[in-house]
Amino acid sequence: MIEAYFIHLLILVGIFLVLALSLQLSVGFTGLLNLGHIAFYGIGAYTSALLVMNGFPFWVGFLSAGIVAMIFGYLISIPVNKLKGDYLTLATLGFTFVVYAVLLNWTNLTRGPLGLPGIPKPSLFGFVLKSNLNYLIFTFVIAAITYFIIKKISSSPFGKVLEAIRDDELAAKSLGKNTLKMKSYALAISAFFAGIAGSLYAHYITFIDPSSFTLLNLVPVLSIVIIAGLASLKGTVVATFILILLPEPLRFIGFPSSVIGPMRQIIYALLLLLILIYRPKGLFGKVELE
Amino acid sequence: MGIFAQLFVNGLIAGGIYALVASGFSLIYSTCKFANFAHGSTIAFSAYFLYWLFNMLGINFVFSVILAIILVSLLGYLMNLFIYKPLRKKKASRVILLLASFALLIFLESIILIFFGADVKTIGYIKVAKGMTILGAIITPLQLFIIITSFVLLGLLYLFMKKTKIGKAMRAVSDNKEVAEIVGISSERIYAWSFVIGSAIAGVAGILIGLEQNLEPTMGTNLVIKGFTGAIIGGIGSVPGAVLGSFLLGFAENYGIWWLPSGYKDAIAFIILFLFLLLRPQGILGIKKGDKR
Repeated sequence: MIEAYFIHLLILVGIFLVLALSLQLSVGFTGLLNLGHIAFYGIGAYTSALLVMNGFPFWVGFLSAGIVAMIFGYLISIPVNKLKGDYLTLATLGFTFVVYAVLLNWTNLTRGPLGLPGIPKPSLFGFVLKSNLNYLIFTFVIAAITYFIIKKISSSPFGKVLEAIRDDELAAKSLGKNTLKMKSYALAISAFFAGIAGSLYAHYITFIDPSSFTLLNLVPVLSIVIIAGLASLKGTVVATFILILLPEPLRFIGFPSSVIGPMRQIIYALLLLLILIYRPKGLFGKVELE
Repeated sequence: MGIFAQLFVNGLIAGGIYALVASGFSLIYSTCKFANFAHGSTIAFSAYFLYWLFNMLGINFVFSVILAIILVSLLGYLMNLFIYKPLRKKKASRVILLLASFALLIFLESIILIFFGADVKTIGYIKVAKGMTILGAIITPLQLFIIITSFVLLGLLYLFMKKTKIGKAMRAVSDNKEVAEIVGISSERIYAWSFVIGSAIAGVAGILIGLEQNLEPTMGTNLVIKGFTGAIIGGIGSVPGAVLGSFLLGFAENYGIWWLPSGYKDAIAFIILFLFLLLRPQGILGIKKGDKR
């Protein structure tokens, strides 16, 4: 029993790792405070669930989740890229609300507030990931791949240009870098992994509805990135484990379940405020958000 | 004609409420130079304070309203004192301030959830009255009251900004903080005042919404985004612009239902926000300044 509970928690940690690592790419490395990340996660979850429920094999749904999210990421980046600072934040926040409204109202496709029940567990090469232990291994393999790809990107010349954009966009431009294009790529890759995380979530929980993809669900992810520190991937891993596991003892103290949800949010919000006031660079970061 | 007039009235009511949200938000934005998301929780707190005082403690209605507005002004003052002031001291960028206000919004919303629960509450002070018919549109006395109150309050705010010493000082800090400080205006004092006055306006908005609609813990998030959209449309940092933009938003949302299902009401606001951010980020009344950040 306790084993099953820990496996469940670790699967969640794995999914949040993919989400937080990919958010690092847009927020941490490129310096775009992107509040649309949760919308890409939702797009991925719905894409994958709908494809697989309509008879496509799992790997098609899984990859399409990433690709469709990436396309949206690229498209949204074109208008948003010209904006700076708080304007960019608000435009991406608006995107989150628009996607939520579409998921809720396009009932022919998404069944609206009723959600999609009975999403099949993934099967890879004829092997169905029925047990949660297998799913855990799968999730962690994906999280590890995400980590290494983002690590690779960040240390590549492209990654260095992204950091240059974050620190001084004008200087990067004056060196002849096409900063708009670079920001678009960063946002698209970041959205790709968010979509993948959405697929992981949909096929694990086997039920999704629009309420899983609201601004509120972004709070833990954003807290992880800020608390870890910008552009620190190792810090992100540590912070993901801490932040996902930290509120769990609340369950055992005997709070009613209606209180646990808000309590978690309070913990995340307070940690975020404390970090911003006392250690704006985060636990492992080197730069501040500007 | 009947539907057109009805949508006009609905747009006017929505616009009046958005204008109150946007003017408080815009006041804080213009002096403190950051988007204070926690303004949404100020609105929600005001409605819930009224519910607590009037429905739960049974205090006299008028007294409850006054007390609720005082309490949210205090809340705004404390937010500034304990969160934003220390951040400003550390020279936090405006994105950091925005992030902090976002955390504060989530924090305060969760507090409401814990104390009042997720189910909707109704204040129900004004019994649902039969609407009057004006030019084919039905309007209840409460809705008429909302429209009048918002116009009166917005007028008072305008006079306050133009005529009083604090109002003038606010505009000075908003225009140029350094110069204002040279002539002896304490910018920290003006920031505190902006939060008190902005939150009081938010308090009135919260109470009007609480009387007209149900109370939900998340009501603030939605409203602050509408208010912000209104402010962007009209020109952020300009209070009259924010008011104009809010009314336009109210009309756009209500007439939009002609073409789209009503579930897309919120999406309409964002599409307008998007268009303005792209094509005219300074808004209708805003002046293009060198500093676009």
